[in-house]
Order: sequence, then C-alpha cells, then structure tokens
Amino acid sequence: MKSKAWYILINILFLIFLFWYVLPIYVMVITSLKTPLEITQRTYLFLGGAPHFENYLQAFKLSYKSLINSSIITVVATAVSTFLGGLGGYFLSRFKWRISKPLFVLIVIGMFIPYQAVLIPLVQLMAATKLALTYAGLIFSYIILNVPTAATLMGTFFFSIPKELEESAEVDGASKTQIFFRIITPVAAPAYISTAIMIFTQIWNEFLVALTLSTPYTMPITVKLAEIKGSYVALYNLQMAATLISSLIPLLFFLLLQKYFIRGALAGALKG
Amino acid sequence: MVSLGIGVKKEKKRRFRVSISEILIFLLPLIFFTVILYLMVGWTFYISFSNWEGVSPKYEFAGLKWYKLMFNLSRFHIDVRNNLTWLLLGVFPTLLIAIFLAYFLEIGGFKKGESLIRTLILYPASMSFIVTGTIWSWMYQPDKGVINTLLRLLHLDFLQSKFVTDQATANYWLILIFIWQYLGFAVIILQASMRTTELQEMVEAAIIDGASKLDILFRIILPNIRGGILILLSLLLISALKVFDIVYIVTFGGPGYSTDVLAFFMYIATFQQHLVALGAGLAVIIFLIAFIIIIPYTIYAMKRWFA
Amino acid sequence: MTEDILRRKVSRRRALSTAGKVAIGAIVAGVVAGIGGYYSGLSAAPGKKVTEKVTVTETTTVTKTVSPTIVTRTTSPTEERKLEIFHWWTAGGEREAADAMFRVFKKHYPDVTIVENPVAGGGGVSHRVVLQARLSAGLPPDTWQTLGGAELKAYVDGGYLVPIDDLWEELKYADVIPKPLADMVTIEGHRWTVPLNIHIQNILYYDKKLFSELNLSPPTNYDELMKTVKAIKEAKPKKAPLGLGTKEKWEAAFVFDALFLEVAGPENYVKFYKGLSDPKTDPAFRKALERLKELQPYIYPYHAGLTWDESCGLVVSGDAAMVTMGTWAIGYFISRGWTPGKEFGAVNFPQKPARILLGHTDSYGLAKGAPHPNTCRDWLRTVASPDFQIAVDVTQGGMFARLDIDPKEFPDPIRQEMQIYLRNNPDKLILDQHGSIAPFSFTQAYWDVMAAFITTPDIDKTISDVATLMETYKVKEEAAWYHWGSV
Repeated sequence: MKSKAWYILINILFLIFLFWYVLPIYVMVITSLKTPLEITQRTYLFLGGAPHFENYLQAFKLSYKSLINSSIITVVATAVSTFLGGLGGYFLSRFKWRISKPLFVLIVIGMFIPYQAVLIPLVQLMAATKLALTYAGLIFSYIILNVPTAATLMGTFFFSIPKELEESAEVDGASKTQIFFRIITPVAAPAYISTAIMIFTQIWNEFLVALTLSTPYTMPITVKLAEIKGSYVALYNLQMAATLISSLIPLLFFLLLQKYFIRGALAGALKG
Repeated sequence: MVSLGIGVKKEKKRRFRVSISEILIFLLPLIFFTVILYLMVGWTFYISFSNWEGVSPKYEFAGLKWYKLMFNLSRFHIDVRNNLTWLLLGVFPTLLIAIFLAYFLEIGGFKKGESLIRTLILYPASMSFIVTGTIWSWMYQPDKGVINTLLRLLHLDFLQSKFVTDQATANYWLILIFIWQYLGFAVIILQASMRTTELQEMVEAAIIDGASKLDILFRIILPNIRGGILILLSLLLISALKVFDIVYIVTFGGPGYSTDVLAFFMYIATFQQHLVALGAGLAVIIFLIAFIIIIPYTIYAMKRWFA
Repeated sequence: MTEDILRRKVSRRRALSTAGKVAIGAIVAGVVAGIGGYYSGLSAAPGKKVTEKVTVTETTTVTKTVSPTIVTRTTSPTEERKLEIFHWWTAGGEREAADAMFRVFKKHYPDVTIVENPVAGGGGVSHRVVLQARLSAGLPPDTWQTLGGAELKAYVDGGYLVPIDDLWEELKYADVIPKPLADMVTIEGHRWTVPLNIHIQNILYYDKKLFSELNLSPPTNYDELMKTVKAIKEAKPKKAPLGLGTKEKWEAAFVFDALFLEVAGPENYVKFYKGLSDPKTDPAFRKALERLKELQPYIYPYHAGLTWDESCGLVVSGDAAMVTMGTWAIGYFISRGWTPGKEFGAVNFPQKPARILLGHTDSYGLAKGAPHPNTCRDWLRTVASPDFQIAVDVTQGGMFARLDIDPKEFPDPIRQEMQIYLRNNPDKLILDQHGSIAPFSFTQAYWDVMAAFITTPDIDKTISDVATLMETYKVKEEAAWYHWGSV
C-alpha cells in the first residue's frame, strides 16, 4: 500500500519535473511560429493562427553567419582551454612543489571574480596586444577567462586518478610528457569531456565579452540574437526561431560527447 | 627492492635534470593564465580605490571613498542579503535534486530514456540565457503567463502566484530558474562520479547482502563520490555568487530591489551609472565573500588531496 | 591489476592517437583561424592604431546650397573614405531607418564605405557597455549614436569627443532647430553632436476604438485623466485603464514626469532635476507623488514583469486602455499592425496649463582620435540635412530636428500635429529622462525609486530616498551645465 502511494507520488513529481523542462521549450517553439501581433496577445500556449514556418527561413538567413562565427570561436577556445587546463591541472595534482598549493587556491578564488568586472581590463589588454577586434581576440579572451576553470576541474579530476598507473610507467623509463599523453589522458577522458561541455556552454552563451569585442564580421550568435529582436520592435518570433536553430549546435556537441561519456567503465577515473 | 631503490634514485636524478623542461610544459600555461587573471583582479582591486567615475579612466588614489558610499546605500545591504539567499537556496537544492536524479538514472529508472532525460536537462545550457530568461518572464506573468494559465485550465486557480512581481516571493522564483539551468551539469558530474568500477563492485556486493536502494545511496555511493560532490559544490557556489543573467533579463533587480544582487548592481554602477570605481568595489566585495566561503572548502580539499 | 591497465592501455592507444590527432587538429585549426581572423580583422576593423593628434582645423573650402543640401568637400588624400559608426537600430522599422541613413549618406558622398556596428538595446543600454570598455581601451569608432544630455556630457567630460562648433557655423544648424534642442547638445558653450531627430517622452497613447465606444476623449490634464480611468474601470473592470511595464525602471519615471510636469510647471521641473530644489520641501514633488498614489490603483498591477514594449502590447491585446510612452512606440504599434489615428491615438500629456514637450534626441558626434575624421565630418553634414531627416525620421518614429521641414512629410497625424506645435513653439521643449538633465549616476537610481514607488506608494520614504540620492550623486554640480529658459 505504502509503496504504491510512493510510486504514484514519485511519478507525479517526475512528470512535473519533465514538464518543468519541456514547457519552456514548447513556448519557444510556439512563439517562433507566430507573428509579432499574435505574440502580443500573450496566448503563450497556443498558436494565434496558422504556423508561420517562414520565420525560420528568415531567422536562418539572419543568423547563419553568426552561427559559423560562434562555432569557430567556441570550438577553438574550448579545445585550447581544455587542453591547457589539462596540462595545468596535471601539474597541480602531481607536482608537490611549494608553488602548487597557493597556486591552486589562487586559481579557485580567482574564478569567483564576476566577469563583468574584468571586462574593461580584458578589453584594455586586448587593445594593447592589437588583437582586440578580431577572431583571435575573441578566442584569446575566452581562453583567458576559461583556463582557470578548466585547470581546477581537471586538477580535481586528476587527484582521483591513482598514482600506480604512472609509477609503473615511470619505472619503465617513460618521461612525464609521455605518461601524460599516453596513459593519463585516455583515463581522464570523461573528465575532459565534462570540462569541455561546461566550457563550451559558457563560451557559446557568453554575451558581454562578445558584445564588446565583436565586429559585424566576427559577431557571435548571442549578440546576433539581441540584434534580431531589435531595440524598439521586439521581434520575439524571429529571436525564438533563431535561438532554436542555434541551440542545435551545442546540443549536437553534447550528444557527440555523451557517447564517450556513457562508456562508463573508465576505471579509476573518478573515484571519490 | 634494493636494486629497485637504487634504480629509482638514479632515474630520479637523471629525470630531474630532464624533467624540468618537461614540467614547464605543464606549469607554464598555468602560470601564464593565472598571472593574467590576477592582473585583471588586481586592476579591479586598484580601481576600487581610485577615483574613476565617468567614461574615461581616472587612476588617482581615492582611498575608501567608494566603499563608504557603498555601505551607505541601502541597496548594497539588500544585495548582500540576496546573494546569501542565493547561495543557500540555489546551491543545496540543486545538489540534492541532482544526487537523487543521478542515482535514479544510474539504477536504471528510465533505461531507454536515460540519455534523453540527460539531454533534456542539459538543453537549457545550450541556449542563450537572454532568451531562456525571456521565456521564464513569460512563464511567470501573473495574468496571462504560462504557469498561471495552465493552473486555471486545470481548475487549480488557488495555486496561482504573483511570481516575480511580488517582492516577497520574487527571489525564490528566480532561484528556481537557476536550479533549472544548472541541474544538467550537476547530474552529469555526479553520474560520472558514480560510474567507477570500484563503486560498481561495492554496490553489487551490497545488493547481494540485501541492502535497500536508499541504503546503498547513503552508505556506499555518497561517501565515495565526495570528489564529484566537491567539484560540483564549488561550481554551483561560484555560479550562484556571480549570478547576473537571470536577474538582468527576468526582473532587472526589481520589484524595488528585492531581486537585486551584487553582480547586477556592479553592472549598473559600472556601465550605466558610469561609476566604474564603485563597480570595482562591488566586485571586490563579491571576491571577499567568495574568500570567506571558499577558505573552509579549500582547507578541506587541501587536507584531502595534498596530504 | 596491472594487466588490466595494460590491456586498457593498448585499446587506449588507438583512442589516444585519434584523440591526439583531433586535439592537434583543433589547435592547428585554431591557430590558422586566429591568424586568418587577425588579418581579416585588420582590414575589417579599422581604428586599432589610435593617435591622439587630431587636427580639428581643416583646410579646404565648401560649396553649400540650401535644401536639398548637397555639400561637397575635398578631403585629405591620405585618409581612407570609411566611416565606423555605432548605433542601435537593428531590426524591423529601425533597421529600415538605419538603411535609409546610409542610403542618403552614400547619395551625398558616393565614395564612402560604411562600417556599422549595430548594438541592439533601445536608448543605448548595451551601447554604454561597449563604449565604456572600448573608449577606455583606446578603441573608438568614428562616431556613435548618443542621446545628448547627461549621457553626452559623460563622453565630453571624458574627452572622447571633439567640439564641432565650426561645423554648426558652416551649416547654420542652430538657426534651423529649436533652441532647447541645440542646448541639449551644447556643453560649456561648445557644440558636440548633430541631432537628427527629437523623441518625445510624454505621450499618452490610447485605444481609439475603446474611447469611441465609451464616448471618451483623450485626457489633457490630471483631473481629466482621473475621470477617464475611473470611467474605463467602471465600464471594463478587467481592463487596466493605464498600462505600464516597469522592468527597466525608467517607465515609472515617465508616468511620474507626466504628473509632475503639470503640478510643477516647466521651470520648476527643470529646477528639480538640476538639483536646485530640495525634494523634502518641494511642494510640487510631494503633490505629484500624492497624485501618482491616487492613480496607482488604476495602473496595470503586474508591471514589474513587463518591458516597455510589452506594456504597449497591453494596449494592443486589450489588457489596457492607455499607456504613457515616447514617440518610438509609434514604430512599435505599426509593427503590430496598428495604424496611427485608426486603432490608436496619441496626445501629449499634460497639455494644461501649459503644453510642454519632454524630449531627447538621437545624435552623432565626432570622436577624438577617430580613424577617419574627415569622412565623419561629411557624415555629420549629412545628418544635418533635410533629405536625411525626412528619410530617417519618418521611418524611425521620431520628429524632425529641423524646423524647416514640412510636417506633412509624416504619414501619421500624430506627429504632424506635434511637429506643427513644435514649429510654432520651439521653446517648449525640455530634456527628458532618457537624455537626462541629471547625471546618469543619479538617474538610474532615481528610476529604481520611482518604480518601487508604483509598487509600494510610500511617499515619505520616496521623498527622503530621492533627497539622499540627489546628495550622494551630486546632482546640483553635475547638472549645472543644462539651461532652459531662465533656469
């Protein structure tokens, strides 16, 4: 009796939970198929008339360049950040130099600084290096902002990898870099993947730095979405359509990476 | 053993000379970016003591001028309180829900649909917060918003809420959005932690011994995924303390200052009021709060991992 | 155990080599993209080399004809004919207006290349972020859209603009625009930007069909307003007589200003925002707050969750009968398929005892250290020209800055009437909340207080809060630059 009640309760809770995620997406889709006038009626759950699929065409035309920009910038910045974070994290976890502890603390605390605070000095830095208004500037900025996170994440993941793996290789005469690339890296794959997912998301959705350092040629999608909505005309339908289109790319990224992730039996990778 | 010992020592010596350059490969990127990060942090610190108001930089020293102004503003105190609320109510519920959800998925609660569910809860992260925030504004509108409309359709009118237009409840509804956004990451991290063969073996043994599902969760799994939990906890704390996008889009700090947070105030002060020094001071305060919170955590982490 | 590891090591090897190749590939791609981007950026984004030496004095002579104005100018041969411009007209009707701007510019000066950076966000909300960061890093564009007033003063004080008195002289611009408009962009005796339009703040939009149904005429002062809202409330209890959306806070100040202006009169209005009157003792301020408190029950209750465009949307969807908004709402209503004069009407509010227009302007100046100052000057000449303003303002929703343009150029009767009024009463224009008499440090916080007041009308607390804000942000000092009438 009791377990049946529990069963029903848990199922209801689960349904509400699913709804919690599906509902906003549903509203987005419905909104993307309306005209601005229909959206103004605020009947968020229902279409106001016929679905306007042409919104997607227009949204795509407006946003595809930015999607390419964002893809390039995000993929490169994520790859480099994760890679460098892996290197740094490995140092933090393996080399008990006097510098390691304070460095680790510094990095973790440094991650707390809100990125709006570092926007101005970041732009000043970019300007000084003459990289400000280019692809390279944006990529470099995102790398700067994300390597600390990557290093901390990877560092903490690396801590959990038992040293026996490396020690046996050391005995065989392998160098540190060999050990790192051939033994540690594959074992830490899910760590790399979780880190990559997190950083990819942060860069893909980042707005302020993108706003400030982009030019119309390098404009990432987050800025473009604001532009599509407009300052005075509030074209939510196009904005929603463009957002849905653009969300496919990170989604694809997640799905691809999750394949490696699910092969869970990567032993010793993430022991508590 | 003896020969091994000698061998090791010899190799250590030999490796020591070689490995400096090798180790630099690992160390240099770290130092490089930490230095840049702290240059920017240091810049913020310095500016908070400068006289920079207006559009152009003013680097003269101004002492505690902006801190004094800050402490006299009621907005500041409301912000600190709000940020602490966010930390408490944003981080721990997310953690708890994620633990149960991850466990549920691990024990095969939804076999085929598992990756579907995971993708579903990761979906918010694949979209710009500017847009998801707009959608949540619409969800929360009291008169024609999605949630209240649904409730009315289901004849559950009494459950309706004023959501974020009510000063008393606004914050909580925003925090709910935060949980919605971060649950996906949380579950991924926890699931990764739960998928170690050692843990699987322990769980199998426990099942043989007849332990209940909840027992397994609390006695075996949780103690052994401490690493994952700690990573997750620090990430959530950082995100909750720095929260900006949600507040910016859904409430702009209102009604009144009921949902105002330090990071938002910092943005307004720096970029709308042109009081850059004040903004920097607020960033420093965020930093200090982080310091206070993160110190115990790092001490714990240090003990565990550097021991 | 070790065998396990070795086994995994072997199967890992393949995964590793592919992973390694992918990683190397990504890094190589990144480097290539970076270098490629750098070089494409070099050609696309000018102005990275910022030199402080900008000579304001130009050399050659000009031939100028009266409207339509085609101004020719010889430029120095070394400067590239490019204009790097920041604005926030990015979508729909605004985009058309931006296109119109550049079309006219190219007509006057066919040899220019325009590099525009549209940064969405009405009133320059996102703009300020980009400019604050880029200007302090030494990366100015040639010119950017600015609202005049305190916002402009911030850039002037920062030394980021070049005075263009000579240009105004050449164009005799002060003669063709209302003096208050010129004063909005005049700081310390110098002219800093060229206004291209006027956006009026205090307009009351109303649902025309509803009004004719209920036999109402648009109110022109507070007493009439109260009668109107009461009548609407009785007839249509579910409809909010006055729609409002205070998410961005300034909307609340609009409503307050509409009441305050009537009670205080224009001079005291200006005095107040110049910090010359004490909110604690100012009878008009208190009275206006009391009036707002009386009005509050008739205001849409869930305003905290709506943006300004959604508040205008309330009128379109029938959830509200009226809304106070600026002239830019005309473009919004049109984008929703409503025609000015048909589905909606609009009047200045208040109109009694005096009819004053609260407004701000979209204007462009010349950046100090601009990469292409001569081209920028040509741009400014274009901005001041009648055919430019006709093409742009009609589409964008503002009023003409120039008084010598025929008001009939407007397709809608609302702006026609207002332009005619302005022509005949050019002095009845005062700087509004967006353009800002008071410094922005004050204005932002002031808006917060006003929005809080509408949610919870606590008069005494609001008065004391505003008084504190005026002191904290030194309004009297910072607003001293503005002059209107005898104030």
